This record gives sequence, C-alpha cells and structure tokens, in this order.
Amino acid sequence: MRTERRFFRTGAVAAISLAAILVAGCAKTKPQTPAGYLQIDINTSPANLDPRVATDAISARIGELAYQSLVRVGRDGAFVGELAEKIERPAPDAIVFHLRHGVRFSDGRPLDARDVLYTYASLLDPENHSVKRAGLAEMASLEAIDNYTLRMTTRRPYAAALEMALLGIVPRGTPLAARDAIAAPPGSGPFKVVAFERDEALTLTRNPYYPAPSGALGGIVMKVAPDATVRALELTEGICQFAENDAIQPELIAYLSRQPKLRLIRSNGTTYQYLIFNFRDARLRDPRVRRAIAYGIDRQAIVTALLRGNARLATGMLAPENWAYNGGVLNYAYDPARARALLEAAGYSRTRPLRLTYKTTTEGRRLAEAIQAMLRRVGVAITIRTSEFATFYSDLRAGNFDLAASQWVGVSDPHQYSLIFDSRMTPQGGGNNRGDYANPEMDRLLRAGDAELDPAARRAIYARVQQIAAADLPYVSLWWIDNVAAYDRRLDGFEPFPNGSLLSLAAARWFPSAAAAGAARP
Amino acid sequence: MIRYFVRRLTALIPVALGVVTLTFALIHLVPGDPVVAMLGDYAAPADVQEMRHALGLDRPLWRQYVAFLYGLTHGDLGESISQREPVSRLIRERYPATVELAVAGLAAAILIAFPLGLVAGADPGGPGDVGAMGFAILGISVPHLYLGPLLMIVFSLDLGWLPLTGRGGFSHLILPALTLGAALAAILARMLRQSLVEVSDADYMRTARAKGLSRPRALISHGLRNALTPVVTLLGLEAGALLTGSIVTEIIFSWPGLGRLMIAAINNRDYPLVQGCVLVFALSYVAVNLATDLLYSAIDPRVRLSR
Repeated sequence: MRTERRFFRTGAVAAISLAAILVAGCAKTKPQTPAGYLQIDINTSPANLDPRVATDAISARIGELAYQSLVRVGRDGAFVGELAEKIERPAPDAIVFHLRHGVRFSDGRPLDARDVLYTYASLLDPENHSVKRAGLAEMASLEAIDNYTLRMTTRRPYAAALEMALLGIVPRGTPLAARDAIAAPPGSGPFKVVAFERDEALTLTRNPYYPAPSGALGGIVMKVAPDATVRALELTEGICQFAENDAIQPELIAYLSRQPKLRLIRSNGTTYQYLIFNFRDARLRDPRVRRAIAYGIDRQAIVTALLRGNARLATGMLAPENWAYNGGVLNYAYDPARARALLEAAGYSRTRPLRLTYKTTTEGRRLAEAIQAMLRRVGVAITIRTSEFATFYSDLRAGNFDLAASQWVGVSDPHQYSLIFDSRMTPQGGGNNRGDYANPEMDRLLRAGDAELDPAARRAIYARVQQIAAADLPYVSLWWIDNVAAYDRRLDGFEPFPNGSLLSLAAARWFPSAAAAGAARP
Repeated sequence: MIRYFVRRLTALIPVALGVVTLTFALIHLVPGDPVVAMLGDYAAPADVQEMRHALGLDRPLWRQYVAFLYGLTHGDLGESISQREPVSRLIRERYPATVELAVAGLAAAILIAFPLGLVAGADPGGPGDVGAMGFAILGISVPHLYLGPLLMIVFSLDLGWLPLTGRGGFSHLILPALTLGAALAAILARMLRQSLVEVSDADYMRTARAKGLSRPRALISHGLRNALTPVVTLLGLEAGALLTGSIVTEIIFSWPGLGRLMIAAINNRDYPLVQGCVLVFALSYVAVNLATDLLYSAIDPRVRLSR
C-alpha cells in the first residue's frame, strides 16, 4: 500500500507541475485590435520592413502605407510624383525632382533633400549589402541642388529612370539592418509601424504629421493567419475586417460573397500568368510547335472552372490598364484542330506525340493537370514536375525545363520587356530571359524603347514589341489575375488598385455608426 | 543513477553531431540558392556573387561545415540568411510557444485517453468499451486539417466560448491542444485498454479480487500501474512526435511556433536557420526519451536504469 500511495503522490506532483507550466506559459495576453482600427488578415509575415532592403510582396504593401518615395506607380502603370511635386527632364540623361515642402516623418522631423540623399547613399553603400542595389545600376549620380531640389543623372538616356525613384525615404542617419531592431524606421507615409511580432501581427497607427480626413481609420492591424479557411472564418465573424488577393483562396470566394456582413469586390488586376518555352530544346524552337501548344489550351475553360472566373484572358504581359498596352496582337483562341494540324506539319503526329516536361510549383499542380489533359488531346504528352518554390525557381533560372508556368507581379513600366525578352538578358547576364529566346528585331526595339524619352514614340515601339511577342510566342500568355478584396460593409472608401496597393485605406473610414461602436467585434 | 544520467547525456553528443551533419548535407544537396531566393528576379550577378561572399557561401562546403561546427561548440548557431538575425534568438523567440503547445497537447491526450481506456478496459466488449473505442477510432481518423476548423466553428464561432486563433491565455490553448492531442489520445486509449485487459488475468489481480476488492477498485489500485509501462513507452515516443508534428496545428491556429519558422526557413533555403531548428527538435526529442526512461523507474521499481 505504501508504494501505491507514493505512486499516486508522484502522479499528483506531475499533474500540478504540468498545470504550472501551462499557466506560466499563458501569462502573456493576446493584443486586441484597438477600437476604430481595421484588422487585415495576411497569409505570410513580412520579412523586413526597412524600405531599403525589403523585397517581399507583403513588406512592399506595408511599405506603401508607411513610406513615401519620390514617385509612385499610378493606376495606368506610369509614374506620378509623390514626394516630388514637380519632375523635369532638362537633358536626356538627367531628371530634376522638386520636393514638396512641409512633409514630416512620423517622429516629427521634416523631410528634405538630405534625407533622400542619405537613403540612396546608405542603399548603395557596399557595406550594407542591400539587395536593391542592382535596381540603381543605371543611376550615375544623385545630388541636391538645394534642400528641396534633387538632380539624378543616368549613365545613358534611360526612359525607365523613374523606376529608380520608387525607393521609400527614411530619415537621414537611420542605420540599415539594425540587427536588434525589429520595428521599422520612421517614414512620411500616412501610417507608422508601432509594433511588429514576426509571424503574429503588425500594428500601424496614424502618422500624426500626415493630414488625415476626419473619421479616418485610427490604424491598421495586420494579422498573420496562414490558413485560408481560418482567414475566411475570421472575415465571416468580423474578427478580421479585410483581406485581399493572396489571402483569399478562389474556392472560398463564393462562400464569402454569401456573407451578408461582407462586401466582395473584384477588379482588374495586373498579375500576369504565362507558360514559358525553353528555346534550348530543338522541338520548341519550331514556331509551329509553340503555336500548336497555344491553340491547344482552352484558357477560358480553365478560368471558368479552376479560377472561378477571377481572371481575364491575357494578350501579353501588359494589361489593358497600362499606358503602353496594345491589344491588337495575334490572339490564340482555343482551336484543337488547328493545333493538331500545326503539329502534323512540324513532324509530330498522334502516333509520335511530342513529349515535354512541364514544371510548376506545388500550388500550380491543378492548373498543370488541366493543361496536360488539354494538350494530350492534340498530341502533346506532358510530364508534370511540381516542386516547392525554391527548387522550382532554381530550375527556372538554370534553364532546367521544357515548359514552365510562372507569373509576373507588379509590372508597371514596359521596360520590363527588356529584362525578359532581350537576348542578352539571360539569368547569367542579370536578366530574366530564362527560355533563351532571341530575335534581333526584338532586341533592337527593346534597346530603342529604353532610350526613347518621348512617350508617344515609346508607346509605338512597345506596340510593336507586343505584336512580335505574340507572334514569336516565347511565352503563351494565359491570363491576368483579378484583384479580389473582401471586407466589412461598414468600411467606407476602399478603392481597389490594379497592382493591389492598399494606399486608399489612408482615406478610408468606418461608417459613422460603426466608428461609434468602435468597429464592434463580437 | 547519476552515472546513468551522465552516460545518457554523453550519448547526446554523437546524436547532435549526426543530426547536424545529416541536415547540413541534405539541405545543401537540395537545389535552390538562398541568395537567389532572397535577392529575387532583379539582382545583378555581381551582387549575387558579392552577397554569397559576404555570407561565406562561396567557400568550399567542408569549410562551411567546419565553421558551422566551430560556431556550435561556442554556442553560436550562426545568423539567419533571410532575416539577418542570430538563429539562436529566432529560435528562443519561438521555442516556448512550441513547447507550450506540445505540453498542452500531451496533457489533453492524457486527460482524454485515461478515462476512455479505463472505461473500455474495465468491461471489454461491453457498451462502454464499444463507445470509447469508437470514439478513439474517430480521433485517429480525423486529420488535424479538418478537426481544427471543425472545433473552431463549434466552440469559437457558434458557441463563442473560446478564441479562434493566436497565442495568448489558457483559453487560446484549448482548441489547438485538443486538435494536436486527439490522435495521440486515441492511440493511448487503445493501448491502455489492451494493457488493462492483459493484466486483468494476472495472478495478482485474482489475489486482489480474492481479498474482496471490487473489480474497478482492483483494476485502478493494482491493474492500472502494471498496465502503464507500455503506455508510457508509447507516450515517450509520441511526445517527441507531438513536438515536431505540431506544424499543421501551428498553421491552422496561427500559432507562432518553431514549426512555422522552420518551414519558412526551408522555403528560403536559409541554411543556418534550418540547421538550428532541426538541431533543437532533435535534442528535444532525445530529452523527452530520456525523461521517459526516468519515468519507467518511477512507475515500476523493477526497472533498473543502470542496466
């Protein structure tokens, strides 16, 4: 009996200590979204908030809310002044920016040309190893004429030079990559980052020095919720009041649109998805084979069935919203008979199908299977290889594929065409021509387009570029993915933006009754 | 006892070395480059080269390995490539959350398994047995991915009793613990039932009944303890799995644990961070198994540790 008692005593001690551990672990309480704030659910945590080093999509989205740059991307993909109220081009290789007066950082310091110079210098400092340095390769110099005027020169006449003015400005003296500081440096945008716990939540409050309309949101809490179903449940219950694009799974759109408390809006997006051909493969160098594949894919069926209608069939990389868009190009409507005829002419027949390896990411698996089934019908046998992103990306850059599915996000200036279709711009050459596509006329046009400063002449050049791209088919253009946002009906003033920017939330507000209730949560 | 303990701790060194070496070899074998993953589409080749140099990734693999081991002997796990912070700090931030979840999952499993196992084992073939074991099968069969959202809908959204996601007070722990512990609870309950059925035929049980103890009383006082050894063995093995297997639960409940950190590190090919996470997981696993062995002797004095 003695041992029995000891046994149970041991059990009791174990149970108590277990409970103690649990209670100790639970001392921390969960931060609540403050009243009048908007909670946005995001699927991944931002990696780094300093605009000088941040490259991931969600960090960039947050950066637009907290930082201002000399220019930003407008609705049509052209650049509009942000910190710069006036932009002049006194010479083909020079740009002069006149800064707005009275702009202040969230810590109260006024923003002037010295802060801009400092931000660029710290990014360019080799010691800092900024990943964004390559983006400034065409910049020859940046100098301050006075405290509110800057002059940037480029190494050659360079049409896309304003891309280099998209860098978020931080106060002078802000060290880069302060290894112990997780919070972001001050910025001059409408919001400031006040708290950030990686993989949990990020809190933005109003920048007190940025004019806010009356009744505007007091702040934004971005909560990391990695599971798509959970994000949808939180939206439905009003725990979270906003989610968009990557944070909304296409399968859940129908469910969300049935929720009476939510508004679901779709708008035209600019994310371009495509299939890339590898020209190193002799079979794919034959244009008839590439065209056959383009004709053999029923894109509309895939958009309807798999993407639930949330995309527009694409004619090329630039979406119709872009100022340089040209829709008058060869279009490949689904035509299996024509695809078979083209393959036959190229020396392939049903008895000798074309065999290709198709690479995609694990997320693209279902899409790949649909394309595989469609192409099998026209006589192209496809083996699908799916891998997680790092492996896929490495294969893509190494040219280790026949056919691959990928996308371009955030395309604005048509200069992007130079990086993907110029024959010199292979991954080894610092570009993204991953399929080894080469056409001398394309090269000539792209180089002319980069050097042409007159917008009308430039538009004409890229109109031709888009025609050649559609005829040569280095890519099969699939579709432009729609922007989808789901949010609480009481939120007023959100305006979707083609590239998915959340900047309109700076002027958004809760409808008065909702604000009084403090964005009432259950 | 102390000698046993020291010997077991010494055995940790080759285990750690093996894990570190294996992880190092595997993560470097997989295609993908941390610098390219970080710099993205627009990096100039010169910048990639320079970054690789700055991070020491251009050195021969064996030198990177030696450097890593050298750091390890000084308690330095290196610096995360993607987050530019010391690996040890990133792990320290997350480890408590993972342990908290694993301990809670274990507690939930035990709290569910013991009553079920006892009810089932006390009357094999009876209605209690059928009910409890049916419940156990359900627990094993329902995947985390489904059970988690189901519990959320019922207890959080419909009833409003518990918070939906996130880490916070005790109430935040209940649903993830149930989700994580359900499968283990089912396995434990079945094991306990089986074990109880076996011991109920033992001589000492007959003696206990002959002394006049009721069947349930004999089962709890004499049978349970003897039936526990296989259950504890299983518990030890599975507790380690709870620690490492909580990744899905962490994702569903937005739980800021080590599992999510490691998945992100693998995707970014963040070599030092992956190595650090795997090492911590492996050492935790070994520690749990050591604790299990110690528990044996507490339960059953016939087990001698030195042997």
